[in-house]
Amino acid sequence: MPGIWIFAERKDLALELLTIARGLASQAGMKVTAIVPDQGDQADIYIAGGADEILLLSALGEDMSLDAWIPVIAAEAKKADPDLILLAATARGKDFAARLAARLETGLCSNCIALNREEDGTIVMERLAYGGAAVQQVSCLTRPVMATIPPRTFAPAPADHGRSGEIRKLPPPPSSPVRVIARKTKERSSQDITEAKAVICVGRGMAKQADINIARQLADLIEGEVGCTRPISEELHWLPDDLCIGLSGVQVKPDLYIGLGVSGQIQHVTGIRGARVICAVNKDENAPIFQAADLGIVGDLYDVTPNLVEELQKATSR
Amino acid sequence: MPNIVACFKWVIDEAYIRKSASGALDFSAVDYKISDYDRNAIEEAARLKGLHGGSVTVLTAGAPETAKGVKDALSRGADQAFFANDASFNQLESSQTAAILGEIIRSRIPYDLIICGEGSSDQYAQQVGPRLAENLGIPCISYVQKLTIGEDGRIMVERRVEEGVEVVEAPLPVLVTVSPEINTPRIPGVKDTLMASKKPVVTIKKEEMQAVGAARLQTIGMTATRMERNCEIFAATPEGIARFVEALQKKGVIS
Ligand SMILES: Cc1cc2nc3c(=O)[nH]c(=O)nc-3n(C[C@H](O)[C@H](O)[C@H](O)COP(=O)(O)OP(=O)(O)OC[C@H]3O[C@@H](n4cnc5c(N)ncnc54)[C@H](O)[C@@H]3O)c2cc1C
Repeated sequence: MPGIWIFAERKDLALELLTIARGLASQAGMKVTAIVPDQGDQADIYIAGGADEILLLSALGEDMSLDAWIPVIAAEAKKADPDLILLAATARGKDFAARLAARLETGLCSNCIALNREEDGTIVMERLAYGGAAVQQVSCLTRPVMATIPPRTFAPAPADHGRSGEIRKLPPPPSSPVRVIARKTKERSSQDITEAKAVICVGRGMAKQADINIARQLADLIEGEVGCTRPISEELHWLPDDLCIGLSGVQVKPDLYIGLGVSGQIQHVTGIRGARVICAVNKDENAPIFQAADLGIVGDLYDVTPNLVEELQKATSR
Repeated sequence: MPNIVACFKWVIDEAYIRKSASGALDFSAVDYKISDYDRNAIEEAARLKGLHGGSVTVLTAGAPETAKGVKDALSRGADQAFFANDASFNQLESSQTAAILGEIIRSRIPYDLIICGEGSSDQYAQQVGPRLAENLGIPCISYVQKLTIGEDGRIMVERRVEEGVEVVEAPLPVLVTVSPEINTPRIPGVKDTLMASKKPVVTIKKEEMQAVGAARLQTIGMTATRMERNCEIFAATPEGIARFVEALQKKGVIS
């Protein structure tokens, strides 16, 4: 029986993948299999979310990492020969998927943002190329078709408690030469910028970390959140990673986006395309952000922002 | 002393891609570059050689124009280069690239550590590194932000994951993919460029390799995305800023 497999390390991601799987399965009469960590009675959640079969992964040893499962899942996939395998495009998921695809000698669509089944059964997948300058459509010529899906691209599958399914435990993974010796959890932002109505984005035009307060002041005034470019979160560590907007970060869709000292490289702009009004403050009139913006101020953000705050205060108190 | 291989891709600089009037991608004015994060890969190899000795080999598969990239890579601290050169190699899919690089490494380059960038700036499929590791049957650690080679022939790395950082240890040989924060790539000087011309380059033709398999993913469409908006520019004067705020109000995004 043909089938769709989903694999995810977390419940929220698994449910998003189930949304896609369930949609395709209902069109094509396919069985849906969810491969998920064994966390007590959670299997029911996945069955309600659309899975017909659950393959449970036993808890890993403290020093083992998720990729220890690759040989086990590759062996299962060779036996069952699914049509499609979907994974979440998290750091671990993308690494896992590429290695699984190598073992299964098949193609993989990375960071797939849309997926449709044609009349003839071909699965057409879309992804961004050239930093977001283009949308590439691909199909896979080998079996199984594989794709990684960025988190939050699809809504979580709603629960249907009338469904039933089988549950099976997978054999434990073989020992791996890679050992995890410590895990450090990073500071996470308490705000979800993907849902924010206004986003003030901090770019490398900010000279020092303390100056982020300037952006925060502006954000507070318009009830928005502060986000940033990749160099700010990843190279300078001034803000948490989950505030990085763009190709390798999150997509935002606020009514208002204001970039302060953001150059507007394509990899960043691709993350703000869904914004209704894009504004930029940059001292370089040739900065690419001005091509992507609706309203721009050419000037030094340190001069402009205090004035802007003052004008906004006047305007909003009227 | 470790033998280090850094893999790189010579890519179109996406900043030069234009959108033609018909809405198609216009590549007529493009320039090429070593993919951004592959520069971090080469830099890391050179940094490690500075600490531990050994050798740095840069490796790429590409069309003949990639020769310029080979020279660029050699000016960044590498000792030698291997270049799989064929006119058809500018359209390789990740599985094909990994197969070509794997065959060359297996048959011609002694290695302890292979370093790739986390993903290329054109496709950003983030597959070649992990696939290459599988082809060679060695461990792969992706999204590495910090790397140390121990006395005992093991490496210790910090890799970025969603929840934070995992500190991971593995025996050599191993493949890592690196993220941009691992180092700041050098800007080669005139002397580096001159020296690069004297370094050995082994060029391998398609015919000298096992048949490159067919692509597994087929591109069936490529359309330019709409990014451009009509930007209205305001002066950075008090009047300009007041008008800017008025425009925001008119658009209904502030109340
Ligand atoms: C594969 C790949 C994926 C990537 N993914 C992402 C991503 O998801 N998100 C992302 O953001 N980037 C991403 N990048 C990086 C991206 O290409 C850019 O390097 C990055 O967005 C630049 O950040 P920036 O605008 O903060 O810095 P810069 O490019 O350094 O720009 C700083 C800007 O500030 C201006 N400025 C300086 N001082 C002032 C001042 N006093 N007042 C006003 N303006 C000033 C300058 O004119 C300049 O335009 C990715 C790159 C690659 C290759």
